[in-house]
Formats: sequence, C-alpha cells, structure tokens
Amino acid sequence: MEIMDFVKYAVYILIFPGALFTCVFGLWLAGVDRKVVARMQKRKGPPITQPAWDFLKLCGKEVIVPAGAARLMYMAAPYVGLVSLIVTVLFIPIGGLQAFSAGGDVVVVLYLLTIPTLALILGGSASGSPYAGVGASRTMVSVMAYELPLILVLLAVARAAGSHVTMDGYSILGATFSLEMITRVQELIGPLLFDWRLLPAAVAMLLVIPCEVGQHPFDVGEAETEICEGPLAEYSGAPLAVFKLSHAIKMFVMTALFCALFLGGIGTGMLWLDVVLALVFSTAVTLVCMTLLHAISARFRVEQLFKFFWTVVSGLALGSLLLVWFC
Amino acid sequence: MFKKLIDNAAARSPWLYHINAGSCNGCDIELVAVLTPRYDAERLGFKLAGTPRHADIVVVSGPVTVQSKDRVLRTIEQVPEPRVIVTLGSCPRSCNVFKGSYSVAGPLDKYVPIDVSIAGCAPKPEAIIDGLALATQILKEKREAMK
Amino acid sequence: MTYDVYMHFPVIAIMTLFVGAFLVTLVGKRQAARNAIAGAAVLVSLTLLALLIKPVMVDGEIIMYWMGNWEPVEGYAIGIAIEVDALSLFFGLLITIAVACSAFYSFQYIKQDDARGSFFTLYLMLSGGVLGIVLSGDLFNIYVMLEVMTFAAVGLTAFRTWNPNAREAAFKYLVVGSIGSTCALLGTALVYAQCHTLNLAQISAILPGELNPTTVLAFALLFTGFGCKSFMFPFHPIAADAHGAAPSSVSVLISGVFTKTGVYGIIRVCYFLFRSMGLSSVQIMLVVIGCISMFVCVTMALNQHDFKRLLAFHSISQIGYILTSLGLCTGLGIAGGLYHAINHTLFKGLLFLTAGSVLYATGTTYLENLGGLAKKMPKTTALFLIGAFSISGIPPFNGFYSKWIIYQATFEKAAETGSIGYALVTVVCVVTSVLTLASFIKVGHSVFFGQLRPELAEAKDPPLGMRIPMWILGGLCVFTGLFPNVMLDYIIIPATGAVFNAVPYIDTAMGEGYAAAHLASTSPFVTPNYTLLGGWDPLAWLVLFVVVLAAVFLCSLAGRSNRDVNCAPDSKHAVFFGGEEAQYSHISGGDLFWGFKHTMRRYLGFVSGAHTGVTNDYVLWGVTATAVIIAYCFAFML
Repeated sequence: MEIMDFVKYAVYILIFPGALFTCVFGLWLAGVDRKVVARMQKRKGPPITQPAWDFLKLCGKEVIVPAGAARLMYMAAPYVGLVSLIVTVLFIPIGGLQAFSAGGDVVVVLYLLTIPTLALILGGSASGSPYAGVGASRTMVSVMAYELPLILVLLAVARAAGSHVTMDGYSILGATFSLEMITRVQELIGPLLFDWRLLPAAVAMLLVIPCEVGQHPFDVGEAETEICEGPLAEYSGAPLAVFKLSHAIKMFVMTALFCALFLGGIGTGMLWLDVVLALVFSTAVTLVCMTLLHAISARFRVEQLFKFFWTVVSGLALGSLLLVWFC
Repeated sequence: MFKKLIDNAAARSPWLYHINAGSCNGCDIELVAVLTPRYDAERLGFKLAGTPRHADIVVVSGPVTVQSKDRVLRTIEQVPEPRVIVTLGSCPRSCNVFKGSYSVAGPLDKYVPIDVSIAGCAPKPEAIIDGLALATQILKEKREAMK
Repeated sequence: MTYDVYMHFPVIAIMTLFVGAFLVTLVGKRQAARNAIAGAAVLVSLTLLALLIKPVMVDGEIIMYWMGNWEPVEGYAIGIAIEVDALSLFFGLLITIAVACSAFYSFQYIKQDDARGSFFTLYLMLSGGVLGIVLSGDLFNIYVMLEVMTFAAVGLTAFRTWNPNAREAAFKYLVVGSIGSTCALLGTALVYAQCHTLNLAQISAILPGELNPTTVLAFALLFTGFGCKSFMFPFHPIAADAHGAAPSSVSVLISGVFTKTGVYGIIRVCYFLFRSMGLSSVQIMLVVIGCISMFVCVTMALNQHDFKRLLAFHSISQIGYILTSLGLCTGLGIAGGLYHAINHTLFKGLLFLTAGSVLYATGTTYLENLGGLAKKMPKTTALFLIGAFSISGIPPFNGFYSKWIIYQATFEKAAETGSIGYALVTVVCVVTSVLTLASFIKVGHSVFFGQLRPELAEAKDPPLGMRIPMWILGGLCVFTGLFPNVMLDYIIIPATGAVFNAVPYIDTAMGEGYAAAHLASTSPFVTPNYTLLGGWDPLAWLVLFVVVLAAVFLCSLAGRSNRDVNCAPDSKHAVFFGGEEAQYSHISGGDLFWGFKHTMRRYLGFVSGAHTGVTNDYVLWGVTATAVIIAYCFAFML
C-alpha cells in the first residue's frame, strides 16, 4: 500500500502532471502558438516541434558566464524558476485531477507564480548587462501592472464560488480561496465562464495571461528588437534553454489556471477524459488569448502597458467584482 | 542517444545574428525579405536573435570599415560555440566597389575564418536561404566535432 | 520550577538591562568589558523570557508580580504591577531576540565610532524601556518607560554627531515624538481621573462599562499616543529620518522593536482597557489608518535613493499591514497581525543589519553610489536575499505566510460583513506587496547586482562577529516560514487567545471573579476560528521543490560537457555592449521602473512633495491627526 502511494506520488511529481508532462506539453503549446501565428500571417511557419528543437539545440551550446556576473545567482536563477513553476503545476487542478491539495489556494498560486518572474529578473540583474538592467526594470513594471487586475479577478471568482458553497459542515462565509472548492462548485453550478457577472473578469484574465507569460503585445521586458531580450541578453546555452522552457511552461500553467477558475466542472465523470478535455481547453485558451493577440497587435510601450492594465483591465475586473458582490 | 538528438537539433534550429559592417543596406533588406511570408525562412527554424549570446549563425554584411572592425570582431567572439560565420553579399569577401577606400579594413577573412559566403550585390532571397541551409549543415558538423 | 520562581523572571529581565546600562559606564574605557556586560545583560533577559514560554504559552498561566509586594488592598491596586500574559510575552520575546542579535552585531559595528562609551548605556536603556512597556501591568509605568525609551532612542539617533542628518533627525524625532508622549500622558491622566487606578487589569474591568465623553477623549489620546510611537501615518516621516540616520544596529531596534511597542499599546488600549474593538467605528479607523500607512509608505519607499531610508519607509508600510490586520477583530486577523509583527521584527532586523554591513564595507548606503557587490560580498548578498524575499512575501519565507493569513482575514471579514470595502483592503494589501517586491528588486539591482563599481573593488564581507547575528535572524526567517504550525501552536494562538479574552488577565491581578463582577459581559469578542487556515503547507512545497530540483539537476548533468568554467576578463566574457568595448554603465536604482513612475507621476510627485522634511510641517500633520482622531472618536464612538 505504501509502496503504491510512493509510486503514485513519484508518477505525479516526475511524469504526469509533473516535470516531464509539463515540459512536453508546454513546448507543444509554444509550437502550436508559433505555427498558428505563422498561418495567420499567411506563412507556412515552423514545425510544431520547433520549440523542442530550439530547447535541445540550446542545451548543446557553449555556456558563457560574463566576467562581471554574480556567478552563483546567474547560474541558479533559471533552474530555480523552472522548478518552482513545475511545482506550481502540481497545485493546480487539471480536469479534476489535483496532484497535491496542500497549496491549492488561489493566493498561494498567485505568489508561487511570481517566483519564476523573480528568477528571471534577478538572473538578468546578476548578469551585469545594462540591457538586462532595463529588461529587469520593465519586467517588474509589467508584474506591477498585471498583479492588480489579477487579484481583482481572483477575488471576484472566490466570491462567486464561495456564495454557493455549503458543504459537509464546512462553514464557509461566502468566499473561498481554495482551488479545489472552486472546481467543485463549478461541478454543481456549471462553469463560471457562463455566469454573466464573471464575463468581464474572464476577459480581464485573458488579457492578464499573455502579460504574465510575457507574450507578444505585452513582452516589454523581453523586447528583442529594443533591448536585446532584456534579462536574457547575456544568457547562452543551457540556462537560456531553461528560461525558454520556463516561458513555454508558463503558458501551460496560466491557461490551466484559467481553465480551473472559469472552465472547471465540464466533465464526463471519467478522469482521463476530463484531463484530456482540460488540455484541449488549455490549448484553446492559448490560441484565443496569446496567439490571436500576438498576430494582430504591435508591442505596447511600457508606460502604455501599465496604464492599460491599471485602467481598462482592472476596470473590467473591478466591474466583475462589484457585479458579483451586489447582484 | 541524447547527444545525437542534440546534434540533430543543431541543424534544425539555427538562430541568426546580423551584423552590419558598413553595408549599403541592400543586403540587409534582402535578409529581412527572407523572413517575409513569401520566403518564410522560419519554416526551417530560422529566427533573428536579439543578442550574439543567443546566436548560432553570424551574418555579416558590408565591407568591414575601419570604424566597425573591432566591433564586428568583438561581437563575433561573443557568440558561443558552435558558431558559423556567413558573409552576406560581395562586400565582406572582396570589399566590392569600396575596395581601396581609406576607410575600409576588409575583407573579413583577413580576421576570422568564414564558413559560408553568399555572393551577389545584393544576393537574391533564394540564394540567402540556400546559403543559410548550407550553414546549418556546417553547424551540425561543428556540433558533432565538439566533445 | 514552580510558579514562585517564574514570577521573578520578568522583573529580573527588565532590571538586568537597566542595571547593565549603569554598569557599562562604570568599567571605564575598556571596550571588551563594556561588550561583555552588554552581551550578558541581553542574553540573561532573552533566556529568562524564553524560559517563560512553557508556563505562559503552553500551560496558559499569567505571571503576576507586585513590586515591593504591594498587593491590591480593598479592591484597589495601588502598587506597581508586572503582569505577563501570552500577549506580553509574545512581544517580550520578539523584543529580546532583536535586542540580543543587534547587540552582538554592534560589538564590531561601532568599533570605529568615537563615542563608543555611551552607546551601550543608551542601548540598554532603550531595550529596558521597550521591555518594560510590554511587561508592565501599570498604565503610568508604561508612560514612564515610553519616555525612557523615546529619549534613549533620540540619543542613539544622534549617536553619530558628526553627521548633520543624524542631528536633524534626532531633533525632529524629539519634537514630533513629544506629541505622542503628551497625548499618552493626557490620556493616562484622564483614565486615572475616571477610574482612580492605574492598574491595567483593574482599568480593563472598570472602564469599559461607561463610555462617556471623558473616556472617549482618553481613548482617542491614548490611541494617538501609541500610534505616534508605532509611527503610523501621518507620524511616519520622522521614522524615515531616524531609521536612516541612526547606526544600523539601532535602526533594528527603532524599526523592529520600538514600533512594536506602539502596536502593543494599541492592542492593550483597544482590546483591553476600553474593550472598544467591538465597535465597527474603531475597526474602520484602524483599518483605514493601516491601509493608508501601507500604501503611502510603500510608494514613498519606491522613490528613495538611500538604502536605509527605503527600509525605514518599508517598516511603516509593514506596520500598516499589522494595524490593518489587528483592526479586523477576527481570529484570523489578530493571528495574522501578530504573526506579521514577529516576522517584521526578524526580516527588517536582518535587512537593517545587511544595510549596516554595506555601510561598514563601503562607507555609503546611497543606492546610486553602489552596485555589483554580490561579487565581493556573497554572504551579505545571500542574507539580503533572504530578508528581501521574506518582506516581499515570496513563498516559502515567513513574510508570505503572515501576509497570506492577512489576505484570508480581510476577505473573510468582507464576506462576513458583506462590505466590499474590506475586499478592497485585500486588494490594497496585495498591491502593496507587489510594490514592496519592486522596491527590493531596486535595492538588489542597484546594490548587489549589476556592474561592480570600480571604486568598490576593495569591499568585502563583514567579519564573523557581524555575520553570526545576521545568520541567526536569517535562520529564524526561514524557520518561521517553514514551520508556521509550530509558531501558531506555541506562540501565535496563545497570544491571540489572550487578546480576545481579558478575563484571566483581570482575574489574576484582582482576584477570582473580579471581572465577572464588573464587566457587562465576560465573553471574548469572538471565538478564534482558524478553519480557513491550512491551505498552504510550506514543507510539502519544499519537499516537492527538492524532488523536482534533483530531477532537473540529474537531467542537466547530461549537458555538463560544454560548461564554460573560464571567466577570464577578455572580450569574449565581457558584457555585450552592442559591439562596443564594455564600459561601466550601471542602471542605477533611480532609473528603474520608468513606466510605473511615469504613469503615476502626479501621485508620486504629490506624495514626495508633501514630505517636505520641515519639522513644522510634520508637527502640523501630527497635531492635525490628533485632532481628527479625537473628532472621529467623538462623532462615531459615543
């Protein structure tokens, strides 16, 4: 029995939905994104496996550590970022499958998601490059920009889900932060996306996702044409590969979070089918919020980005919160 | 097996870094044309990198002026191994019409070994893709030669 | 040991510090002897309080000590009492930990100063005063200790008299701080006039019954007095000056410890003496003041160019968290506030000590003159990162856990009362937390990372004597983050229980049944309820993290062959500079976050313009705040 548990958790951590699966699926999502953007621009586009090839190639390149870099921080940052992302995935329910519920709390996930970004900023900052300095500053501004609407969205969802919870002696006071609880509520009342009061919040969340991931219209921090990919300017070889992988995994994590918050509870009752369905939803969300925006828009300037998120996106999210509270 | 996979990947994901060493901009436009929907070099995995640290292939255009010589060499040196140096157009190979000018320090092969040269003033996009495809093969060979 | 032995511990803990203060001056110019006396004094008081954990926190005893054995006669407590319940012990512990670490740090740190003789006298006076406030059971005694503490702190702020900023800061502190002292004294006098007693326990039994204009005025004055000592908005500018100018080991005390006495005073006044926390008007007052302190100070901190001033503004911002959380008057709220109080002492102490190390190594804390120290001071950098992650609430460090409880508490309160205002408080807390992270990115980038300034090439890590106290604080930051359940079970929850239930406190002092006879209701405000807690298990996260890290590490071994170990300063390893020869070009702290600063320029301009640095303005703010609080209390409490 104990051995079975051990094997089960080992599989959860290392294979599905842990390390191996997140990497593969993240790279696949990134490939789909690039392919579809190319098709939208009437190009043939790279094969879907392209991000995986990029990753492998970078692993085979020489690693140059700049002489001016704080060496330990510079080398550790990408790995810490990647690992904390993979651990975050374990706390997000994917189609009803939540590997570990110990951190299944939206605020915890919100904070765990800042670790990879922090790793990017500190790694870049440690490289000693002025481009990386500017990039770190811009990345931090985009974090400040999306965090306000994101917490408003989370509160709106927590309130909407919480007002339905009256479960097994668990006295909930009209709010719940637990991701597990939010998913279970959606099994009872249907996906929160179809709750009209939460529509603005969902739109806001769809705009937050590309900013959090660092996708095209909001990639001020890693603008390769302006500041040499910002924090990544000095990275080469394997650490760079790990950063690119983290970027791909972040797409998966954020879309999975969206699905858990807004599209939970659509299921057939069969676990594996639900998981597949959740992955399909993840891909769909990626296409809607990242690929489409990438293909049709030009990059924001950093102060435009900040203003956009603190006015328009936060306004949408706040509107949702007010609707949930008073309707 | 892992090593083989990585070696194969070297040819399938070449990232370019483009250095203008005093070019008239003709070749540079053609290089950008290669990325347009008509030619779409991205289907072969090509991508323009923002910094030499990310690059596999360094594309140099222009006759290497005195002002740019040190900068070009320094930038090439900062590209991690394995790397391939490609000259774009006639200028970096022969200095073309600028030959003999007091301000030209080229051609480039006085300073660094060149792996592929794409001829033409300016070369056609098809020729550029052909040259870059050749460069990816050299890249793979270099990667295999690494220990 | 029995109760008879324990009951002497608190008074010995206080007296050791005061006796030490005088002994230090007796040994003449021998610095080693001074250090030994100071070290022994702080260790004795730390040990004595640590020994009290078991009887007070675990067994729930309340230690009562009457000075000179002047016990209450005919129901009136005339003698000076020292009464230690879980709440007092909680604050006593965090005070003595910070005091001990900072004292050991000072041995090395003040070596080059010329006025070393008076340092430990003032230092121990300050520590004794602070400890006296939280352990005392007598309102006037608290006021006396408040004054001892304030004047010692003023002296220490001006310790480096050659520094004009220090003299100016001490003057401002003296003037604005006296507003607080005056209010506290007036409030005490009014309470005495009403109750004819100064014993805290007896006041808490007699006073709450009658809320008349006099007691409301007394409440407002005491609240302002202690608020001033905690540097809440709008008393915060003096804190910034004082923390910035004082020696770092003293900043630890002023920021981590001194402010906590204000918080302690507010808890005693609101929850015990007047039992007014049940009124929503008082709750709203605390929450609003907390939110303003939090947000205004964090935005001010983002604008600072001096490491220590930046930290100073952050301490007020964190005090804002604590006040907000305490103002909720729920089980989670108090637990979160107290947890954050102890965390703040730990991480802010650590950060001030790292700032001190930077000053020690380089001679400056001005952000624009620093950069790239991580290469020269790797150990200090590691400690700084622990502190910075803790204060910014990065899991699994301690700041995250307490902030997380505070978010839960505010949102739970919002759901409970149905008022969306409290939900917006949650939002303010989260945004403040992000801005905190941003400002520590700024410090990290401009002090420790980025390019090394050529003139700092000689900098090196501070000596071991300075590093050990920092490692202790850093270790405690990690411990309190990783083992929140231990903290909750043994420290936080007993203290929270003590906040809610004043009855044992009263009965221990005045005799069984005294509270029941005087108080209208002896039931606690609310029964603490921790059901929402438990959704975050740092240890599980850590285990997963280590497992995945091991897996990733094993995979990365495959690509080891092409790792470049050579770090030669040739052009290949130089920073990419667009092809140019690399030169010194550091993105300094003032240049960061342009997009944010540009968008918020009106607000930031207004806020930093308002902080004129003129003492008259700050006094005006203080007096206005006092007037507003009094008016508010009269309008909404009666």
